[in-house]
Amino acid sequence: MSDDQIPVTVLTGYLGAGKTTLLNRILSENHGRKFAVVINEFGELGVDNDLVVDADEEVFEMNNGCICCTVRGDLIRIIGGLMKRKGRFDGIIVETTGLADPAPVAQTFFADDEVKRAAKLDSVVTVVDAKNLPARLADTREAEEQIAFADLIILNKMDLVDEQGAREIEGRIRAINPWAQLIRSTKSDVPIASVLGREAFNLEKIVERVPDFLSGEDNHTHDTQILSCSFQAASPLDPERFNAWISQVLAVKGQDLLRTKGILAYANDDRVFAFQAVHMLADGDFIRPWKAGEERLSRIVFIGRDLNRPWLRRGFEACQADAPKTNYEAELARWGAPA
Amino acid sequence: MSTTTAPEFLIETRGTTREFGAYVVGIAHCRATGTPGFGLGDGTLRIGLDGAPSQVHRGAVLAIAADCRAGFLTGGDDGKLATTTDATTILGDYGNRWVEHVAAHPAGVRAAACGKMLHVLDGAGTPRKSLAHPSTVSGVDIDAKGKRLVASHYNGASMWFFAAKEDKPRVLEWKGSHGMVLFHPDGDHVVSAMQENTLHGWRLSDGQHMRMSGYPAKTKSMAFTAKGRWLATAGAESVVLLPFFGGGPMGKPPQELAGGDAVICTQIATHPDHEVVAAGFADGLVLVAEIASGKVLPIAPPGRGGISALAWHPKGHALAFGTEAGHAAVVDFSGR
Repeated sequence: MSDDQIPVTVLTGYLGAGKTTLLNRILSENHGRKFAVVINEFGELGVDNDLVVDADEEVFEMNNGCICCTVRGDLIRIIGGLMKRKGRFDGIIVETTGLADPAPVAQTFFADDEVKRAAKLDSVVTVVDAKNLPARLADTREAEEQIAFADLIILNKMDLVDEQGAREIEGRIRAINPWAQLIRSTKSDVPIASVLGREAFNLEKIVERVPDFLSGEDNHTHDTQILSCSFQAASPLDPERFNAWISQVLAVKGQDLLRTKGILAYANDDRVFAFQAVHMLADGDFIRPWKAGEERLSRIVFIGRDLNRPWLRRGFEACQADAPKTNYEAELARWGAPA
Repeated sequence: MSTTTAPEFLIETRGTTREFGAYVVGIAHCRATGTPGFGLGDGTLRIGLDGAPSQVHRGAVLAIAADCRAGFLTGGDDGKLATTTDATTILGDYGNRWVEHVAAHPAGVRAAACGKMLHVLDGAGTPRKSLAHPSTVSGVDIDAKGKRLVASHYNGASMWFFAAKEDKPRVLEWKGSHGMVLFHPDGDHVVSAMQENTLHGWRLSDGQHMRMSGYPAKTKSMAFTAKGRWLATAGAESVVLLPFFGGGPMGKPPQELAGGDAVICTQIATHPDHEVVAAGFADGLVLVAEIASGKVLPIAPPGRGGISALAWHPKGHALAFGTEAGHAAVVDFSGR
């Protein structure tokens, strides 16, 4: 990763959630930074900025053999164009419509070489309306996806709900996405420093934001389609087993897996391995040595649709180096072919 | 045993270099005077290396072409289409959308791609057509006779007749995202560069498809040689030449020139008369190569930014180029 890459913040959320208010706050605050803003054609209000680009949200399939690999063709072009005026802005903010699936936006930053060289995805920030979220979750698929994809969720319009209502909403959000940071606000009045420069896709940051793992608890609530499954393994993993297993899981189930993140302890290795995936596009590396006294737990979170929790748990546990080989082989074989 | 000496670069003895301080987006040569025009990322146009900067667009120049008779046709991220000789005239103002591609033909045809629309104007600047496409237009070309236009987009390209009374495109289909598009000088082939580091071609007479894959990077620059025997392409660690003769390019191996360094070729310019190709690389290297002999003439050493623009003088005696870092140069080959 080079410092030359322009950080990109993706702002999602439903119409009326407070996305544009947040955007205008980011732009008007006196932080000395200049942004290029990519807005969608159905933007709510005017955006007051020198460099505003209208986008068409053209989602394209990449013919790279990966059936779920869609990218935003307009973003590839826009980022290429913005690089021609490099040096005159410090970051890019991409606003998406409330109806947009965030996956193609995120995948654009992993699937296109030129975009990858020029820019890096800093984070996906989702603004939700505390009062209307239950209704949105009930009637749309996108509201869930935007929560599932988020690194930061701004729970806005808190003045319209009481504390109990707020806690219920937070529980719903946590069930979908345990890894995201949640900030409450009333008029999108959150510290800008908490929105920008999050480096949420930097493997090294994954370890800093490990959620409380509720291994064994079923996070599936009655009316959500997307759920998260978190697991931990106390014994170190066999890297070959894990690689073969996760590759197979992503290949078979990648379309339904929105985000996967893990912190892994490998057998006979003193380094922390961090792993992340957006659908089938995966990335992993050793990020630092385990600290003295640090518990060498392997932890993984899957966020997706129709996840078979026992299969994922047993498979992950079978990747432990001391688990019986026959168990592992049986778990791997489950993912042998799409059901 | 051989001794290695540093290659001599022609820029040292025959070049003039300027620092423009902004990304050199494109270079075109005026059809009347032969003067090079440099379109820059700060929205200015420089006519000649020592020309005063003229602010033709508010943001960045995104596209430049030699205008029909004289001057330069430019598109910018201010949504405007402009022509500049001594002064700048705005030919079109298309609002918030970027004007990303422009083309012009001496027969009096001008085209500007803006979002899904291809705006077509005549030599007098009168708007003639606004042609809609299924998705954003990502490349434009005009055929050698100035009669047809082709616009690339998602899942193919659309070919239009300038003089048609009723605008109905011939759609050249191929699944995927197409970028730069080019007519062969014979008018019978159209080639596009795709998102997945491949080229796709259509033979118009019989509807045959051509596929050329294996590029390590996206082809962002390509050109046919003077008589159309070769298509010279960027996107590999060498200049890749596809033969359009003897039954090619289908089933014929491509030829590679000037390979060796593991650096991607970013810009290509073919000589107006001879089978000679100029190539610019991501590290700033510029060279000229003769196709028949494979002989390479080093023009400029690496180090001043990736080559982002490259163009021959229409008479073929000089080569102009520019870099992402804002350097520009002209190298003169004429006898002294």
